Amino acid sequence: MTKTPVIDVRGLNVEYGDFQAVRNVSFQVGKGELYALLGTNGAGKTSTLETVEGHRSATSGTVRVFGHDPRERRSVRPRMGVMLQESGFSPDLTVRETVRLIGSLTLRTDRVERVLDVVDLTRKADTKVSQLSGGEKRRLDFATAVYGTPELVFLDEPTTGLDIRSRDALWEAVDRLRADGSTIVLTTHYLEEAQQRADRIGLMHRGTLRQEGTVAELTRALPSVISFSLPATAPEPPLPATREGDGTFVVETLGLQKDLHTLLGWAQDHAVELRGLEAGPTRLDDVFRALDTADA
Amino acid sequence: MLSIAQGELIQIFRNRLVMVTMLVLPVAFSGFYMYLQDRIPGLDAGAVAAILLFLVMSMGLYSTVVTTLASRRQNLFLKRLRSTAASDARILVGLLLPVTAIATGQSVVILTVLGVVTEAPAHPLLLVVAVLAALTMMVGLGLATAGVTNSPDHAQVTTLPLLIGTLAVSGWVGFTGTEELTLIKRLLPGGSATELVVGAWNGGVPLADSLLLLAPTLAWVVLALLAATRLFRWEPRH
Repeated sequence: MTKTPVIDVRGLNVEYGDFQAVRNVSFQVGKGELYALLGTNGAGKTSTLETVEGHRSATSGTVRVFGHDPRERRSVRPRMGVMLQESGFSPDLTVRETVRLIGSLTLRTDRVERVLDVVDLTRKADTKVSQLSGGEKRRLDFATAVYGTPELVFLDEPTTGLDIRSRDALWEAVDRLRADGSTIVLTTHYLEEAQQRADRIGLMHRGTLRQEGTVAELTRALPSVISFSLPATAPEPPLPATREGDGTFVVETLGLQKDLHTLLGWAQDHAVELRGLEAGPTRLDDVFRALDTADA
Repeated sequence: MLSIAQGELIQIFRNRLVMVTMLVLPVAFSGFYMYLQDRIPGLDAGAVAAILLFLVMSMGLYSTVVTTLASRRQNLFLKRLRSTAASDARILVGLLLPVTAIATGQSVVILTVLGVVTEAPAHPLLLVVAVLAALTMMVGLGLATAGVTNSPDHAQVTTLPLLIGTLAVSGWVGFTGTEELTLIKRLLPGGSATELVVGAWNGGVPLADSLLLLAPTLAWVVLALLAATRLFRWEPRH
């Protein structure tokens, strides 16, 4: 990153009374990047995100967004859109009134109709927010976040409660934002979303940023996994395998292609059927499980 | 700020419960007092004016301010507004502008009707000052009370002491005057404001003495705002 990062967090600590929610977290997000902050519940990602958004003040450390303190709303907010984890809309206002109100307060300009079209809520424009489904509320939230195509968009668990079609539509809209050069910061529980879309991932666990990097970087350090089961009459398999409770053999390997070749050759030679054979690289889930076991 | 106010106005007109509190109750109570005025000869017009004013200020304005803020916080609307470029001050002013304007309008109508039915106030300008002082105090107290109120339902409990208190004080001070227990009566919230209204309506009080009565009311404003800055929360407790 040669230019000033859009988001620059250094040594961030957030405490609530005696409880330390975020410990010494540092990260940068460059212009045009999609950065995903992942973690289990209570990992500190929402506290971190809300500090960066300017909703919360840091106990210590510095947070800069576009080079400003994020609590300077006038200078920072017109350039960023926020999709909160819980919507926070007035139930008595209609969808159109809500987008118009929140949109105008961002000081960006856009057409309400365009934004409603992006999230497919045009037909619901005159419906009161109280009558929307959970998924429709999430889409309304997204609509207010992308009003006026901001340079920076925060998406806090954007697809929770969305059906597949709305989820695809939302990611399409995110792709268009990115094509316009917007920077995206995302938190999500759906690991595959992060795996597919994030340029970089920060893994948070118990208030600290444990690992950071591209998906490839995060998974490279961990072995791939081969699993299968054998008939009772079969000879010992040719690879060092651990045997699970249900009789499944699990092989962890850093040389997936070579070991798989060995295994398949052995099965062919001994006429052994490998039942339920699965082989694949480490998934992000496994990175998480590794974090949990490391702490246990 | 004005767009927030516009949104609030739309919500007030859509929410029947708020509508009833804001419009029907104070008007109904005022009508009742005017009915009494007819039946009881020699009723002190200044005292009635003060009580009518505090009916509007406590039931129409104060309790609505608290309920509105608690409800906007509970459904995270305050947090949503704070996610935009609007400053905290603008958000609050925008949210409270419609209620305050409506309460001001109610006061003007009710006091005008009273002026026509009985006699016109002796010092209209002083009366305006008194109304504005009472209004500022009740908004300030509303902000402070909102800080200790968790939900709109909870507001029915938290607003009770000051709602009943200011009403009782205005009735007490209005009808018994401040000859006795002067200091206590003037220091209670709404006490000196009531005395100011009575004086402005009935006349016969030197201007300097009247203006001095503003001091306790303004002290309550300062106290309420200090409490509000310490107590007010923008997000629900976790």
